[in-house]
Amino acid sequence: MLNRIVKTREFIVFLILVALSVIVGLINPAFFSISTVFDTLRAAIVYFIMAFGVLPIIISGGIDISFVAIAAVTSFSTHMLLLKLGYEGGTLLYYLIACTMGLLAGLLNGFLVTRFNLPVFNVSLAAFTMWYGFNLFFIGATANFDLPAGTVGYYARFIITARDPFVGKTGLHVSIVYVVLIGLFIWWMLKYTTIGRGIYAMGGNREVAIRSGFNVPFITLVTFAIMGVLSAVAGVTQAFLSRYFNPVIFIGQPLDVLAAIILGGASITGGRGSVIGTALGVLLIQVINRALILTGIPVQWQRLVVGIILIVFTSIPALQERRARRIGHTTEAA
Amino acid sequence: MTIRDTSDKATNSVSGRVLSRIRAHSDTLQLFGVLVVLFIFFSVTEDKFLTTRSITSMGFQLPELGVLSLAMMITILTGGIDLSVNATSNMAAVLAGLFMVKFIPKEAGEAQIVLYLGGALLVALLVGWISGTFNGLLIGYVGVPPILATLATMTLYTGISVGLTGGTTVTGFPKQLSVIGAQTLGGIPIPFIVFVALTILTHIFIYHTAFGFKARMLGSNPTASDFSGVNNRSVLLKVYMFSGVLSAVTGILIMGRTMSAAYEYGTTTYVLLAILISVLANIIPGFGRILDVFIAVLILQVLSTGFHMFLAGVRGSSFFKDFAWGVLLILIFIANYFIRGRRYQG
Repeated sequence: MLNRIVKTREFIVFLILVALSVIVGLINPAFFSISTVFDTLRAAIVYFIMAFGVLPIIISGGIDISFVAIAAVTSFSTHMLLLKLGYEGGTLLYYLIACTMGLLAGLLNGFLVTRFNLPVFNVSLAAFTMWYGFNLFFIGATANFDLPAGTVGYYARFIITARDPFVGKTGLHVSIVYVVLIGLFIWWMLKYTTIGRGIYAMGGNREVAIRSGFNVPFITLVTFAIMGVLSAVAGVTQAFLSRYFNPVIFIGQPLDVLAAIILGGASITGGRGSVIGTALGVLLIQVINRALILTGIPVQWQRLVVGIILIVFTSIPALQERRARRIGHTTEAA
Repeated sequence: MTIRDTSDKATNSVSGRVLSRIRAHSDTLQLFGVLVVLFIFFSVTEDKFLTTRSITSMGFQLPELGVLSLAMMITILTGGIDLSVNATSNMAAVLAGLFMVKFIPKEAGEAQIVLYLGGALLVALLVGWISGTFNGLLIGYVGVPPILATLATMTLYTGISVGLTGGTTVTGFPKQLSVIGAQTLGGIPIPFIVFVALTILTHIFIYHTAFGFKARMLGSNPTASDFSGVNNRSVLLKVYMFSGVLSAVTGILIMGRTMSAAYEYGTTTYVLLAILISVLANIIPGFGRILDVFIAVLILQVLSTGFHMFLAGVRGSSFFKDFAWGVLLILIFIANYFIRGRRYQG
């Protein structure tokens, strides 16, 4: 059992995460503090949600980049709509409206993919430019800071607060609970439902999945519905955490999220991937970002260091896999 | 997906042969049709569209994205992707720019400056070649998935540009450099000539060399090409080298037009647009026409310029263009489905 865990891709990522944390902690002891943990998790919240949302699509063999655009268009248009109506209530209505829009946007992608037999990536690329363009042209091109009275305090609603020797009082934001619930749901769906098993089957071999009786178009629609809804959740959550609504939120980040998922052991061609691995991948990228600030590397060289770290961390699992393949088989697929 | 073979019946008669030719090129014809329709639409609705001035300005604007799209498409053809194209072109421009600023003496004569300019261009191409080689090594020899490897090197190359310049823009180049980005030759913008030349070169490279054949075979089935004795690793290495050099050319074109170099020119939009062009041109691993990429670049530019004029004075008109691109892409996909539905089964 232990032997099996040690050999997984997730475990390698976990080791890399621990090693990096130890190195950063040795350089700057401030890294090992409760506030670092809380801050890292807070920064990671929306990326967890988005990554969990696209994970089923990735496992089913598709690549999507439109999730960031859906997050932007749903959150921003919900906000501008409610602002116009003079809404002063809490966050719940925001989530409800945005999720409905997200569901529809996700289903639109899914409909195009299944009805017209189109590659997932092509549709998502079109949706990406379409939704950002729609947001900026029809809804508004500037960020909006007018939050309804009922949502103003939300950014500082903590489930636990702790006293930290470096920064004083610090807390863990309540939306981490959603992350855990969403993560559990996706894990359960992938592992214990027919749809979930169908998602893996599709990614492994689409033709075989169809012949085995999986309703592939329906499963595809479900994965897109999940992606749409969770993107909306991420968009609204990010807006409340940062206390403003941004029409181009996440525009430069679809590839970072995909990188986190693939770093966490998912195969870009489908058939493989897990919630745990995805969560570790997201955490790893957040820790890398935080590490740079804490180790005192000059600002202008930080991006270079991120690049080097990324190259090392993507090469280690690749080399590991290559060796495993060489032992297991006599040939290798490039 | 099985392809219904129509060539046997069709090649018997002359008209049949023409018909099969048309069928084989139907993607290209379709794209060309879209281009013509858009061109006529904007020519009729906008007085300023069909003028020498606007055509020339389009000729100056599109080559940057065009060459970048070539760099992107050859990697997609092998089943990969190169997200670092734009970071490579900026890094090449920054290093070539620093070379010029640091080494050209103040009182250099005309001939001397031209010599140094040649040196700077060599620096840029060399940088492109090295960064492409690095991508190729990571993907071919280490085995990192292309999307991850080039995402990492995109960050690395951007990081080098930021580090060397401290995030500032490099300027103060000799005015002779502007020949590349702002002059015409017989009325045709020089960047456009460069783009056409590179399109032809890429076409020859991919369709008329043994290497190109191997690259396409690798794209359609890496395992099969491996068993056929193709050295997959070395083919990948060379493809990414070529991609890197093409990216560097883009860097030179941008530098020639703006007379400056910085880490942030283009950034994510250029990368996504380059992918979008490959998608529009229906480039898939193993299959794709370079001519289609060329037409797709023209379509994007016509749309861009056309909407710019169409919505002149409307707030945020450039955003509408993004929206229109997305909608147009979806419409083309759907049209493709119905046209191909008759040609393909399944």
